[in-house]
Amino acid sequence: MKTEKRKKFVFTLFVFLFGYSLFASQNDLIKIIDLKGQWKYSIGERKEWILPGYDDNSWATIHVPSSWEDQGFYGYNGFGFYRKSFALSEENKGKTLYLNLGYVDDVDETYINGHKIGSTGSFPPSYITAYNANRVYYIPEEYLNFGGKNTIAVKVYDSYQYGGIVKGEIGIYVSMFDVRLDINLQGIWKFKPGDDFSWKEAGFNDSKWDEIFVPAKWEDQGYRDYDGYSWYRKTFYYKGTFSEETIVLILGKIDDLDQVYINGKLVAGTGELNSQINRKAYTGEQYKAFRGYFIPTNSLKKNEKNSIAVRVYDGQGAGGIYEGPVGIVTQRKYIDFWNKRRTINY
Amino acid sequence: MKKLVSLHRIYFSLLFSTFVLLFPNNLSAEDLRKVVQLAGYWKFSIGDFPEWAYPEYNDSDWETIKVPDKWEDQGFNEYNGFAWYRKEFTIHPIDEDVPIYFVSGRIDDANEIYFNGHLLAKSGDFPPHFRTAYNQKRKYHIPREIIKFNQKNSIAIRVYDEYLEGGIIDQPVGIYIDEDYEYLDFILSGKWKFHLGDNKQWKSENFNDDIWEEINVPSEWENEGYEDYDGYAWYRKEFRLPAELRNGEIYLSLGKIDDYDYVYLNGTLIGSVFHLDKDSEYKRRGWEYNARRIYKIPEDAIHKNGINMLSIRVYDVKWRGGIYEGPLGIMTEPNYKQYRRKHHENQSFWDYVIDELFID
Repeated sequence: MKTEKRKKFVFTLFVFLFGYSLFASQNDLIKIIDLKGQWKYSIGERKEWILPGYDDNSWATIHVPSSWEDQGFYGYNGFGFYRKSFALSEENKGKTLYLNLGYVDDVDETYINGHKIGSTGSFPPSYITAYNANRVYYIPEEYLNFGGKNTIAVKVYDSYQYGGIVKGEIGIYVSMFDVRLDINLQGIWKFKPGDDFSWKEAGFNDSKWDEIFVPAKWEDQGYRDYDGYSWYRKTFYYKGTFSEETIVLILGKIDDLDQVYINGKLVAGTGELNSQINRKAYTGEQYKAFRGYFIPTNSLKKNEKNSIAVRVYDGQGAGGIYEGPVGIVTQRKYIDFWNKRRTINY
Repeated sequence: MKKLVSLHRIYFSLLFSTFVLLFPNNLSAEDLRKVVQLAGYWKFSIGDFPEWAYPEYNDSDWETIKVPDKWEDQGFNEYNGFAWYRKEFTIHPIDEDVPIYFVSGRIDDANEIYFNGHLLAKSGDFPPHFRTAYNQKRKYHIPREIIKFNQKNSIAIRVYDEYLEGGIIDQPVGIYIDEDYEYLDFILSGKWKFHLGDNKQWKSENFNDDIWEEINVPSEWENEGYEDYDGYAWYRKEFRLPAELRNGEIYLSLGKIDDYDYVYLNGTLIGSVFHLDKDSEYKRRGWEYNARRIYKIPEDAIHKNGINMLSIRVYDVKWRGGIYEGPLGIMTEPNYKQYRRKHHENQSFWDYVIDELFID
């Protein structure tokens, strides 16, 4: 017990000292819309409840954040649905926005205007709780109505005791150090634990693979206790708009090592990932490193679908592409971002 | 008495390990003299554009950064990836054939260096086939023909950092010359002929080396386009003996060679690190790469009036290879004696430490 406690303390200290980031972490996010207060709530789950047009007038009103046990649903375990609408002004267009949903006990799946933006933990039958994870989801701009109404719908599963959106600084946030992505790669990727080099190929058929949210550690998405190799894959469209010879592929932070393939070709990586992990190469420091990879623009195919495959090795603990932003920007923008950040910080 | 010796040993071990920790991969900088101080403020930008190598590139809107110091401590914390450093400076004329170097402490992780727009050298490898060189000091030979004396010169350093600290990390940073060239009466550094491999015929003065590559000497061959090469290679150089050296004893200085050398003059073996006196200050067991090569030139081996051919067979066991440090040339006996005395005095303390620790 005593060692447990000490471990926890050391962990907390560790998080306090190193667990911050200057990108999408809460420290650098500024709240622009407060979403604490009255939300609509219903027990159960139905597909149409995610839709913005659904009429939730008959639903109960519940205070967020708090457990639903404290709001008249004492003793209820199982599925519940939260809904909330908010207005977003035109001036927020062009900013990188996040929904901070706080802590959800135990599992959530979150939608905005009917589009899934994130999920943490795993629903039954392969139930995994994520009650101690603060949810911060990136909201793709194309899902939002600027100058209009937007609707959040959250499907929650609670296995026992307290349930719901229980605590946190819930709201819509904008990043203080904002890199506006030219190609956004945040969102749903294909994912498979294991290691096979044919998975780097552009033409590889990954339709049977699992879906995973990026950025978020895989432990919160149904792969608890998984360490070792796994692959992420995604396709994206490139219009041919970059004039620079070299552009920057931002992959945020990855736990621990990675190798990046674009259209089957190795373009970047952190740590030595040869046929076998070199014990020396895995220092336990790489997971903290922010990845901004310089890649040749001509590694992308113009006016076509492009494939990105990321081979990840996780030595221990949390794993995966766990922190954003994730996407492609021009070098000019990237340089301005770092210089601006220096002016603010230094 | 016995106890005293062991205490001595502990003391020296501590001292020596401190020395090693403070000066990783020591370049014996005591023989180099700084002619331009480059530590101070440089222009800096993260990113990677090929035109940043050129002297005429306008970097006036760049950030300013202190060199040496990791960029993480200067407002670029958490930055990994490419970044460039640029600096302009003037340099006074330097005697012909005295080799000129850019020297810096560690650069984290890999870098290329451009001098007046010319690519000088590269240490480590850039992605996607990345290889770090973060724990090596840098010493790059600057060919005289690209230096503009009494005018503005430009240095641009392209750095790639994989993770953790990045940039030009350690002192010193500057332009250096090798002081030992003062002892030479005839200089042999500069462009030599060079060939990888091993062939006994290459020692012959009649062998035609026209198709061989050219290489800067002294410079480790890793910085001359032969990264990762270990094994045999040959160096060849033609010269005429100046009239004033035709009478009296003369000595051939070949600086330092990594690791073994066999030196032929007009086909005759005149020296090798294995022939150096084991008890002299020039060679200690297992430290061949650090031995100062100086060989007496036999009167019957040299052509006093005609062309001479110097052929050097070098074997590199691992890591750095080749004729990597001067002075290279010919000395008269008085200069030879002064040169020996200087290095004997300079190195005797460390010789003693090393001998105490490693040689019984």
